[in-house]
Amino acid sequence: MMRWSIEGLKVCVSCLSLCVCVISAFSQSLDGDFTFSLPAGRRECFFQTMKKDASLEIEYQVLDGASLDVDFYFQSPSGHVIANDYRKSDGVHAVETEEGDYMFCFDNTFSAVSEKVIFFELILDNVGDGEESEDWKAYVQGADLLDMKLEDIMDTINSVKSRLGKSLQIQALLRAFEARDRNLQESNYDRVNLWSCTNLMVMVIVSGVQVYLLRSLFDDKRKTRT
Amino acid sequence: MEMKAVVSSTGLMLLFAWLSPSQALYFHIGETEKKCFIEEIPDETMVIGRYRTQLWDKQAGSFLPSTPGLGMHVEIKDPDAKIILSRQYGSDGRFTFTSHTPGEHQICLHSNSTKMALFTGGKLRVHLDIQVGEHTNNYPEIAAKDKLSELQLRVRQLLDQVEQIQKEQNYQRYREERFRMTSESTNQRVLWWSIAQTFILIITGIWQMRHLKSFFEAKKLV
Repeated sequence: MMRWSIEGLKVCVSCLSLCVCVISAFSQSLDGDFTFSLPAGRRECFFQTMKKDASLEIEYQVLDGASLDVDFYFQSPSGHVIANDYRKSDGVHAVETEEGDYMFCFDNTFSAVSEKVIFFELILDNVGDGEESEDWKAYVQGADLLDMKLEDIMDTINSVKSRLGKSLQIQALLRAFEARDRNLQESNYDRVNLWSCTNLMVMVIVSGVQVYLLRSLFDDKRKTRT
Repeated sequence: MEMKAVVSSTGLMLLFAWLSPSQALYFHIGETEKKCFIEEIPDETMVIGRYRTQLWDKQAGSFLPSTPGLGMHVEIKDPDAKIILSRQYGSDGRFTFTSHTPGEHQICLHSNSTKMALFTGGKLRVHLDIQVGEHTNNYPEIAAKDKLSELQLRVRQLLDQVEQIQKEQNYQRYREERFRMTSESTNQRVLWWSIAQTFILIITGIWQMRHLKSFFEAKKLV
C-alpha cells in the first residue's frame, strides 16, 4: 500500500513537472509581426501591455512609399520617451520593461502625398518565467536514472524549439527586406516606362512644332512681299 | 494511472488558459475608421486572428471590459484583391482563413456600430492577435486527439516548426525570382529606350533638315 502511494506520488510529480515545463516553454516568448499601410499625413499608435522585468524589443522597417522613411516615437508607461526617430527607414529598440502599457507611434505627417507601408516586429521575452521552471526542480528528487534522461531530452528539445523560433523571426525580417527591395524595383520599372514614353513623345512633338513655326515665318514674309 | 490523467489534464487546462490573448497588442480605432493589416504568406497556410474590444466609458473614466452589441466587421482580401472573407463578428471575435495563393493578403477591421451614442468620447480599444502557420496549431487539442505523450507532443511541435520554415523558404525563392525578373526587365528597358531615343532623335534631325532644305529651295531662297 505504502509502495504504491510513493510510486503514485513520483509519477504525479514527474507529470506535473512536465506539464509546468510545457506551459513555461510555450509561453517563453510571445511575439508577433504586423504590416500595415499608413496613409499620408496620419499618425498611428500601438500599445503593448508588459509585466515588470521582462524585455521588449521592437524592430520596424518601411517597405513601400516615396522616400521610404517614417518618424518613430516610443514611450514607456511612466511617460518617459525611450526613442524619437526622425525620418528613418528602419530601426530597432530594446528595453527592460516596467509594469504598464508601452506606446509606440509611426508618424507620416511630414508627407502630404505618399502612403507608407510599415512592417514592425515585437519580440517579448518574459524573463519572469525562468523562476517557474526553477521551482519545480526543487520537488523532483531526481535520483532515478530514467527521470534524469527525460530531463536532458526535454532540455534539448526546448533549446531546439527556441532556436527554431529565432529562425522564424529572422525569416520574417528577411522577408520584410526583400519586400522593400522588390517594391523599390517595381516603382523603378514603372518610372522608366513612363518617362521614356513621355520623352519620346515630347521629342517628336517638339520637332514637328519647330518645322511648322519655321515654315509659318517664311510664309508670312512671302505674303508681305507681294 | 488515474492520477496521471488528472494531473496531465489540469496541466493542459492551464496551458489553454495561457494561450488566450491577454498580452496582445492593442490600438484605438475611431467610429468610421478602417484599420488594415497586410500579411505576406505562402499558399496553403492557415491564419487565425483573435480580437477583443473595449469601449471608453466617460463616467468611469476607463475602458469597460466588453461591450455587447458592438461588433467588428472583418474583411479579408487575397493577393488578387478578391474578397475571401467578409463577415461581422461580435465584440470578441475569432476569424480564420487559409490562403490558396501565395502573396500579400489584406485583413481589414472596422466597427459596425449604428448607435452613435456609444461612440461619444471617441475611441474603441481593440486588442488584436494574428497567428500564422504553425502558430495556429492547437496543441492541447492535437495531443488529446492523437493521444500523444508530452515528449511526442514536443517533437510534433518541432516538426511543425521546421515545416513552416521550409514553406517560407520556398516562398522566398519564388519571390526572389520575381524580383530578379523585374530587375532584369528594368535594366533591359533602360538600355533599349535610350537606344531608341537616340535613333529617333537622329532621324528627326535628318528629316527636319531635308524638309526645310526642300522648302527653301521651293521658295527660291537658296
